[in-house]
Amino acid sequence: MPGVAIKDLARHYGGVAAVDGLSLDVKPGELVALLGPSGCGKTTTLRLVAGFLKPESGEIWVGDRCLSSPSAVVPPERRRMAMIFQSYALWPHMTVAQNVAYGLRFKRGLPRAEREKKVGEILRVVQLAGYEARYPGELSGGQQQRVAVARALVVEPEILLLDEPLSNLDANLREEMRFEIRRLHEEFAITTLYVTHDQGEAMVISDRIAVLERGRVAQIGTADELFHQPRTRFVAEFIGKTNLVDGMAVKPDAIAHGPLTFRVASDTLVPGAHVALSIRPHHIELVAPNAPKEDGVNILQGSIERASFLGETVDYQVAVKDSDLVVRVAAPAVARLRPGGLVGLRIPRAACVVLAEG
Amino acid sequence: MSVSTHRRASGATLRGRLEGVDRSLPVWVATALAIVALMALPLAWLGYMSVGAEQGTTFGHYREVFRDEALRKALWHTLVLAFWTGLVSVALGAPLAWLTARTNVPGKKLIRALVMASFVTPPFLGAFAWVMLAGPNAGLLNRMWRDLTGATDPLLDIFTMSGLVFVVTMYTFPYVYIMLANTLALIASDLEDAAAIHGAGRLGVALTITLPLVAPAIVSGFILAVLQALALFGSPAILALPAGFHTITTQVWSFFHFPPKVEQAAAVSIPLLLATALLLLMQKRLLGRRGYATVGGKGGQRRTIALGIWRYPALAAVFVVMAGSIFLPYAVLAKAAFARAWAQPLTWSNVTLANFTFTLFEYSSTKAAILNTVELGLATATMGAGLAALLSYVTNRRLVVGHQLVAFLALAPVVIPGVVLAVALFIAYTRPPFVLYGTLAILFVAYLTKEMPVGYAQSDATFRSIPPDLEEAGRILGAGRLRVLRDVTAPLARSGIIAAWCFIFIGVIRELSASIILFTPNTRVMSVVIFDLKEEGQFGAIAVLGLAMLAMTFATVSVVQAALGRDVLGVKE
Repeated sequence: MPGVAIKDLARHYGGVAAVDGLSLDVKPGELVALLGPSGCGKTTTLRLVAGFLKPESGEIWVGDRCLSSPSAVVPPERRRMAMIFQSYALWPHMTVAQNVAYGLRFKRGLPRAEREKKVGEILRVVQLAGYEARYPGELSGGQQQRVAVARALVVEPEILLLDEPLSNLDANLREEMRFEIRRLHEEFAITTLYVTHDQGEAMVISDRIAVLERGRVAQIGTADELFHQPRTRFVAEFIGKTNLVDGMAVKPDAIAHGPLTFRVASDTLVPGAHVALSIRPHHIELVAPNAPKEDGVNILQGSIERASFLGETVDYQVAVKDSDLVVRVAAPAVARLRPGGLVGLRIPRAACVVLAEG
Repeated sequence: MSVSTHRRASGATLRGRLEGVDRSLPVWVATALAIVALMALPLAWLGYMSVGAEQGTTFGHYREVFRDEALRKALWHTLVLAFWTGLVSVALGAPLAWLTARTNVPGKKLIRALVMASFVTPPFLGAFAWVMLAGPNAGLLNRMWRDLTGATDPLLDIFTMSGLVFVVTMYTFPYVYIMLANTLALIASDLEDAAAIHGAGRLGVALTITLPLVAPAIVSGFILAVLQALALFGSPAILALPAGFHTITTQVWSFFHFPPKVEQAAAVSIPLLLATALLLLMQKRLLGRRGYATVGGKGGQRRTIALGIWRYPALAAVFVVMAGSIFLPYAVLAKAAFARAWAQPLTWSNVTLANFTFTLFEYSSTKAAILNTVELGLATATMGAGLAALLSYVTNRRLVVGHQLVAFLALAPVVIPGVVLAVALFIAYTRPPFVLYGTLAILFVAYLTKEMPVGYAQSDATFRSIPPDLEEAGRILGAGRLRVLRDVTAPLARSGIIAAWCFIFIGVIRELSASIILFTPNTRVMSVVIFDLKEEGQFGAIAVLGLAMLAMTFATVSVVQAALGRDVLGVKE
């Protein structure tokens, strides 16, 4: 089973660079999510990989085959891929069985009986046995989605492409289908690119996530890595909520923001450099005002501006004393503090992640 | 050994190179070139001929035609005809559209069917019918008037400018109706309710909300009606010539009387072409500008306005209009078809089927014309629907460089009045490289060109409604572009293409203004024969041919309705 290598890909759309020097390696059998806001180039990237678009520069390789380059693009039908579309793109004039069997028509030397057997098997896998003779218009949204999945999997593609396949489902079904798609990936282990703008979806489904920003990969890594070691402001803000603090390095392991000093999770800073910190709301602990100093822990003073009860946690906005900072804190909902109250903020050094690219 | 290795290696690279080539490309390029050739050749000849001289170029032909007193008069008559036709069409079409779209007038389905019937009735048939109804001497209505009142003067004289405007309007107001009915159907009542809740009274709502929203549709319907009147040949030829005046189209036609003055015809045609283009551009601008997206807002309920005691009077008023376009003309045609003498009362001794047997079986020129028309209709509709489908596929999926030009060319004939097109084709195909004049082929080319916009617009709408990802899903699973076209696109587009076929067929069998210039004694079609029979006073044969034409038209219309699941008025333009 081959992987996918995307090298320095670029493609403009109406004068705007949709994909702009994007490079990405997907290992054999890996599921990588392309995650980003609308307009970040994720769908264009997927369509370039599928061969629907021709790149202006860069190359796309699958194993040892160069499928796309500015001089030649192997047409989609000869790329040995399958794709699941946002709209599902089921053919309304074909039955479920005909839809699913379509790709098998192009497998030379596959006997008819074998074809029917494969269709039956895959429909069982997606729990649609018995629906063979239905037309797509007679199915629910979730069932249509399963047909699209079956149609893509039955051809045993080298590469599977998914373009926001869950965005047309209602919230409950979407949650359920996330696990379903992950289960199918574990069963079939097809090299997969998965486009989504939903970070929760990306985190559940993928082995690694590539966060795209303005046509490039801002950062690629596991969900854990992206969450705990974001490299850029964009990634830190896009994956989960965070507090960003701008400052200047004063020591190899500390930065200053006005009169405040933060000890940070790094000891290689160059004093005088401008740096930014990302501090996750749930890494900040609310303590009593004037709590004692501890080694390796930042203690700040502040007053509560707003408290929003969210069920399991309370979301506090705390104005930090002697500064313009207002930080968000996610605290357990056991003790409720009121707006106007004075609090201490306990921020462990390890929670202050220095962003590599400010 | 080394040779065979070498051969295998080069074979592999060749296959590798072919892997990157879209094998369907030649089809798309050929399609695009076909439309370019179809359009460019005649239009280039037309322009060239209008400025051509023995040596070099000249504006002499233009000077000559526009200094000609008779031509200036014809121009003036054309403008009068077009303007009044536009105005009266709005005066009839707009209230009708409002009645069926927004009120509880009874018999809405019937009204729509009657408007549709006026829309597809060939205007020159209507003109003939009105000659029989309101000719100053023999016209049936005038005879009844004389019998009733004892007067000696006729009540109506159809051979006048107002008579001409009346008859043309009877078959032109549906353009206004279509524009407006489709717009009104999109304006949700909540837009009006929103104005009411903010304090506008009933009249205020109508003046500040409804009217501005439909104004572009009304003006654009007016322009379409004016365009129809400008391009019309049959009705002016039947009504204006006996009245002793010309319009531009009949004037162009008269240039082809022996000896043909082709250069003058070309010099008159070019300004007519430009005027048409300008008007259509205005119409597009008008419709394109204001946010029609708001008109298309979803979830809009449309409230029905109760007419109260005015329901039946309104219906009666509609029937009066329909009497002018349908009831009376159809009745007089039917009478003429079954009567020995059309002007005499329909008594038992006057009833006969002789007109039918004579026209359909005995008279060789009508028989040949019917066969020619059917043959041309089938050929043009089949070729035209096929070409239109390919063209609109090319433009929708952007398959060739310059696909915008392809779309432009496919729609361009809209601005070419039939006589102008005929002049251009006459020039282009009476000389090498393509000598088609005197054959059915030149009529085929004329019809194909003239009907291309209708076919293109219909199939464009069809392909627009098929999302490209349905095709892409097939591609990625292993089907080539042509294979996807066969397996996915064609089945989904089928009913739309059938409709395009029918629209072209209807357009071809009624075509007169280009045929009248391009026919030769061996290539006469039904419309031309009807026109000629008038000179011979053969009203019975005219009526039979006319009814045959209507029968074919309505049969085709019913195919469209079955294919599209809605009536033909649902389409704009």
